[in-house]
Amino acid sequence: MFLHIFSYRFKCLIRDKQAMFWIFMFPILLATLFKMAIPDVGNLEKFEPINIAVVNNVEYQDSDAFKSTLSSVSDSASESNLMFNTKITTEEEAKDLLVNNKITGYIFMDNGPKVIVKESGFSQTILKGFISNYLQVTLQYNNVLEANPAAMQNFLSEIADNKSYIKEVSNTSASPNNSLVYYYALIAMTCLYGGMLGTKEVINIQANQTPQGARVSLAPTNKLKVFSSSILAATVIQVSIILILLVYLKFALNIDFGNQLLYVLLTVVAGSFVGVSFGAMIGSIIKGKESLKLGILISTTMMSSFLSGMMWLDMKYIVTNKFPIMAYINPANVISDAFYALYYYDTYTRFFINIGILFGFSIIFYLITYFTMRRQKYASI
Amino acid sequence: MVVNVKKLVKRYGDLIALDHFDLEVKEGEVFGLLGPNGSGKTTAINCILSLLKYDKGTIEVFGKPMSPDAYDIKKDIGIIMQNVAVFDELTVYENIDYFCGLYVTDKEKRKKLVNEAIDFVALNDFRKFYPNKLSGGLLRRLNIACGIAHKPKLIILDEPTVAVDPQSRNNILEGIQKLNKQGATVIYTSHYMEEVEQICSRIAIMDKGKIIATGTKDELKAMIEIGEKISVEIFNKLEHIVNDIQKMSGISSVNYENDLLVIKSKRGNNNLTNILDYLKENNISYGKIYSELPTLNDVFLEITGKKLRD
Repeated sequence: MFLHIFSYRFKCLIRDKQAMFWIFMFPILLATLFKMAIPDVGNLEKFEPINIAVVNNVEYQDSDAFKSTLSSVSDSASESNLMFNTKITTEEEAKDLLVNNKITGYIFMDNGPKVIVKESGFSQTILKGFISNYLQVTLQYNNVLEANPAAMQNFLSEIADNKSYIKEVSNTSASPNNSLVYYYALIAMTCLYGGMLGTKEVINIQANQTPQGARVSLAPTNKLKVFSSSILAATVIQVSIILILLVYLKFALNIDFGNQLLYVLLTVVAGSFVGVSFGAMIGSIIKGKESLKLGILISTTMMSSFLSGMMWLDMKYIVTNKFPIMAYINPANVISDAFYALYYYDTYTRFFINIGILFGFSIIFYLITYFTMRRQKYASI
Repeated sequence: MVVNVKKLVKRYGDLIALDHFDLEVKEGEVFGLLGPNGSGKTTAINCILSLLKYDKGTIEVFGKPMSPDAYDIKKDIGIIMQNVAVFDELTVYENIDYFCGLYVTDKEKRKKLVNEAIDFVALNDFRKFYPNKLSGGLLRRLNIACGIAHKPKLIILDEPTVAVDPQSRNNILEGIQKLNKQGATVIYTSHYMEEVEQICSRIAIMDKGKIIATGTKDELKAMIEIGEKISVEIFNKLEHIVNDIQKMSGISSVNYENDLLVIKSKRGNNNLTNILDYLKENNISYGKIYSELPTLNDVFLEITGKKLRD
């Protein structure tokens, strides 16, 4: 009997075109759109050297100090110090390159280096900052040389020993990549979309919700058996769909989820449990038509995904910082945070807290569903 | 007794849907529950099936108290609801197999039963069709097949012919009679008196949650005063005709509407002859003339003062 119900419910759900679009096709389309909108996810925060030109005039030729400084952050620099791709040109060539957007700006030596740009921006600010820094150090050098030549040695060793008082500490061996949060939130949304399957299963076994439910209720079959086999079919489909999505993200879109496959699977299973159980709860407690229940489910899921950073990355951090409780009771956030913890932390404490919360949610949602559904006679149909 | 309901009361807030409702259905009969929309037929069926809570009364099916977990009773009941209860994602065969599988676990036995049900409702050519590809009539037949595939001893049909074409309606009614001949007891609810007259061996007429009359169709018709309804086509109404006929002995009522004089007479002989004699003596020209026996609608009208489909 259990297998009979399971196999037919599996068929029904897998053939439900509307549900399959939202749960299976929509996340794949959305992931593809993300990939197109953020093409090189892995290199999003990587610094690209800025293209500049230097006008090759007499003053430039005579300025050994400037040539040496520029060279230390240009073509001959190590990869970590590389700031500029520098081209030595005539003034006309430099102007042409600037007009045609081939360079961010050019340097013209005229009683010291002058920066010529045609618009303001991030790269232009870096170029200007570099020249300002150079001028400041040169001025200090000249001042020291004039005032106290004996102190020159100390001055030179101090500017050579340029200290930074901010230290970046990484919690993981993985390289930081904030845009992964988009994909984590997408997976979380897909897990919660599994709620559609849970809702459908619940309304199809309740006599006061659908004619099919009435027919099932009249059969000499234990309701808990029908419920558990139906929910199992929904969960198996949901887990399978998320696995296909993960394979698509990893192999077709080259999204890196780290190497902890078993933990990733555990997250997916826990997320699917939450999604299906959440849908089952909505299906049992909300009175009204199926379309109303699915509408409430989808809007709740979208809001939940929004708050977990799917549409706007900073939202996740705002919610976590300003409303930490909200972050913990938002299933989409907990699912995406489990992935986040797995990728960014070398310890599993945060990951397992998230997994525990997810299974806790599932138990609560199923208990609410059970207590709503255990009633076998209805006041009205 | 297959179904025995006593003093059943069901309230929806201030509205009394079933008011001390009594029902006895004997083994082997096709029992008709006839009443206008909103009279409480479906509520009564849902209470009998333990889907609805009720306020008072007792319900026994196959001699045992009915309850939601009375699986030994439920296994012998087949239900065909007013709304089609099938899954759009399953084919005709799969739908019948799914619902039959809730009653019969043996695969081979189930296969045989499903095939028999498909034969019974003549859906053999549509086995692999999905419900949304079936016409309204075929869909109703599928709905019936899903309810009777497990060969129940008691079959309850709640308005199964609503929005069905005449051909499918006849097919459904013939099917019900066939199921009854095969040994099933049938409860059939409808607001179509013609259907109930055609197939039911005993009928209960319901109004406002109460049974107002029970019996065979002849017993019900015998309960009322009207014995015959005579209709005469007269194109020129003369006021005195209505008054004259009204004064004749054995006449209950006379109405003239749309060129038709409708005379309801009490039981007795020569009613038609007396009318014809009167028309001849007074040189009144007339067109068609015909006489009918009273219908269940007349029974309902006389008892409640309103028509069945009001």
